[in-house]
Amino acid sequence: MIRKRVFFALLVAAMLLSACGAPAATQVPAVTEAASATEPSLATEAPVVEVSGNLVVYSGRSEPLIQPLMDAFKAKYPNVEVLLKAGKNSELANALLEEKTNPQADIFITTELFTVQSLAQQGVFQSYLPVGAENLPAEFIGPGNAWIGLTRRARVIMYNTELVSPGEAPTSIFDLTDPKWKGRIAAAGSTNGSMQAQIAVMRQLLGEPATEEWLNGLLANEAAFLGGHTDVRKAVGAGEFQIGLVNHYYYYLQQAEGSKVGIVFPDQGEGQIGLITNATAAGIVNGAPNPAAAQAFMDFLISAEGQKLFTELNYEYPLLPGVEIHSEVQPLSDFRLADVNVAQSALEFDATFDLIERIGLP
Amino acid sequence: MRTGARAFHRLNQQNSISPRLTIAAGLVALFVAIPLGYIFFRAVTGEPEVWQRLLQTRIWTLLGNTLLLVAAVTSGALVTGVSMAWITERTDLPGRGIFRWMLALPLAIPAYIGGILHLTLLRSRGGLIPQLLESLFGQPIPTPSPLGFWGAAFILTIFTYPYVYLLSAAAFRSLHASLEEAARTFGRTPWQTLWRVTLPALRPGLIAGALLVALDILAEYGTVALLRYETFSSAIFVQLSGRYDRSAASVLSGVLVTLAIVILWGELRLQGQARFTQMESNWRPAPRHGLGKWKLPAFLLILGVISASLLVPVSVLAAWSIGAFLDPKTLASVFRTGSQGFGSFAWNSLWSSGLAAILAVTLSLPVALLSVRYPNRFSRFISRFCQVGYAIPGVVIALSLVLLVNRLLPFLYATPLVVVIAYVLRHMPQAVRASESALGQLSPSLEEAARTLGRTSLQTLFQITLPLVLPGLLAGGALVFLTSLKELPATLLLRPAGFDTLAVRVWVWAEDGFYMQAAPAALLLVLVSAIPLSFLLRREQVFK
Repeated sequence: MIRKRVFFALLVAAMLLSACGAPAATQVPAVTEAASATEPSLATEAPVVEVSGNLVVYSGRSEPLIQPLMDAFKAKYPNVEVLLKAGKNSELANALLEEKTNPQADIFITTELFTVQSLAQQGVFQSYLPVGAENLPAEFIGPGNAWIGLTRRARVIMYNTELVSPGEAPTSIFDLTDPKWKGRIAAAGSTNGSMQAQIAVMRQLLGEPATEEWLNGLLANEAAFLGGHTDVRKAVGAGEFQIGLVNHYYYYLQQAEGSKVGIVFPDQGEGQIGLITNATAAGIVNGAPNPAAAQAFMDFLISAEGQKLFTELNYEYPLLPGVEIHSEVQPLSDFRLADVNVAQSALEFDATFDLIERIGLP
Repeated sequence: MRTGARAFHRLNQQNSISPRLTIAAGLVALFVAIPLGYIFFRAVTGEPEVWQRLLQTRIWTLLGNTLLLVAAVTSGALVTGVSMAWITERTDLPGRGIFRWMLALPLAIPAYIGGILHLTLLRSRGGLIPQLLESLFGQPIPTPSPLGFWGAAFILTIFTYPYVYLLSAAAFRSLHASLEEAARTFGRTPWQTLWRVTLPALRPGLIAGALLVALDILAEYGTVALLRYETFSSAIFVQLSGRYDRSAASVLSGVLVTLAIVILWGELRLQGQARFTQMESNWRPAPRHGLGKWKLPAFLLILGVISASLLVPVSVLAAWSIGAFLDPKTLASVFRTGSQGFGSFAWNSLWSSGLAAILAVTLSLPVALLSVRYPNRFSRFISRFCQVGYAIPGVVIALSLVLLVNRLLPFLYATPLVVVIAYVLRHMPQAVRASESALGQLSPSLEEAARTLGRTSLQTLFQITLPLVLPGLLAGGALVFLTSLKELPATLLLRPAGFDTLAVRVWVWAEDGFYMQAAPAALLLVLVSAIPLSFLLRREQVFK
């Protein structure tokens, strides 16, 4: 009987503990929502308003690529609790669309421009021009200030120098369909935002048939489509694959880990499409529970300090003029860039998904 | 005399179904039904183009992939589980007592963590084993790849066979010696006896085990995603990270749930009317077979299985954890990710799974009381219905909750409570089965006596029934706790920003290739899971 009592006491204790845990965790959003009702008008007119409370960030940039920025922001605004939900661009975009009537996030960060552009068209963002945004190139400010660009990245080919000599390495993304590389290529799968964006850009520049042919060529070449680019760079670094299709900074990150890898900025020849680039972007969600903190965070992301962190820690190309790129990174001005119309690609983003699905890209 | 008559009257009343209980059980069934119904509704009302697009491209490949994996893993788990159970229960192999535990403990290791470990060990060239071989022999030695169908089948087999092992070990244990003796007397060889008598007698346990494995594989997300083998569950995830349209994901979910229900129904049919009754009175255990010269092979076989499923994974996790603790930079990120410390992941895991266990057991009570105390067609239906959760993979539950809660209960949306609700829905069947079996062992005469002595039905419930069945309920709770702790897909989709559990942390880190950073969380998850698991195992006759 005593044993049963003990059991029961344990059960009650467990109930009490959980009961304490649950409300503490759930009350937080309610409080910030109540606070936000009065704040927006104040925040836009008087930037000195105290920035505090929870800042909810949905990020298509994976956690290791955004956490340092959030930590630095937190150091500046110790009263703000930064809460992160990292995932795939479109997964989070879906969540934002679902939450339009019941907004949870303050800021959305993506790894390409098409998602923010199409969310902007669907009214997911509120307009905000961060302090200092006037210095950014105009093409990286969304229509109606719905989003702003943060950094640029280039789509490059990295290779394992122990297995491939620099002379041998492919110089065009179209070389990747050459049977010579069969089974030797790794790329990120179709759920990856940068990969989706590359396909969208190619559709725009070359048309659907040529893009489809290229993708089918990759499939026929048994390219491995891995979960993400970190996986790709590590696999190429270890020699599991000889060639990887990645964003440029993955090459530098892998090199920094001591791997023998090389980089090609592809398609620079006459008549070739040029280097495909994209930009990461951020926007403040319409109805954001904590707009004051969201604005402070946006300001921080494009401030010299924030931009420097992106470049120093992750080798990305800063958008703010005057911020030096990482000393090891080759500047974009060295290359001929593919000519991308962001608004047009965003409009056709759905057709890109159709294409991905039709050919069954993993 | 008058009071006696009243008591008698009340007793009679008790045997007709109590409306309060019926309503309570009905509400629980309704709670369980809503997400299921909603997904079916979304799937059926999905736009024709979506159906057409999926029928033309995806569904058939996915169906083939999924069924192939389910078939391979289920048969793999059956062969492994039964042979291991035979060795530990029916032979004289030394060390059986320890092997029993080691064969059951892999249940504490989520398959996706096992997958991560085997992947880093085995992947061609990049893996630790191929690298070791290369440095030993000076050239690359081809090793089997853990990726794709065979890899997924292997990994999932070695982490799901314990279901079959536990059930068949219990069955071997309770098998009456006279069954096999009779067969031998009639001139059957030992081999014939095994096939014709022993295994058929084990059938109920084997089918139940196979069902658990099959449903587990249908719902599996982490492992197949990691090993790049596409099934329905992982395809739903891909849909969610594709276009801005959830109807395709709903359609795939509808097909997946139908598949699961077909398997569940198949089990009911297979179990059928087959009953194996043994006389309790002169029961004696069947004699053990002497292994003789087969002792070493049997020993190596068991060692192979427990190495792959327990020893290697746990040692690698431990080694990595030590590595993480020795490297200050990794250590810092293990303990602090933004404002979230390691403690908060662990605490989130504990309280959400704990709350889910309490809720699931509480909600299972009216259902179990109704079906055990008032067995009829209706109560059986309610009880079966509440077990459908087995068949709904976590990703489907999550999807339906995202859509439903945001529309109907927006204040609950994006709170950890939704995660808890998903755990309850998903793991309710375990609680219902445990509560039913606990109540079934309690004679109703005790409750009747209490009622005769003038207690109300609620008083009887709280003062007599609950205290007596508490150990059984706790077992159900422990099971829900254990499985919730390991849950990944629903948690990934439903967690609010900043709410990470151990399982989510392990996944996020490992997905980005930061295995060493993920190791301490994974090790803690395994150790915490081992506690309710060993509590559950101790209740089993085999482990007493």
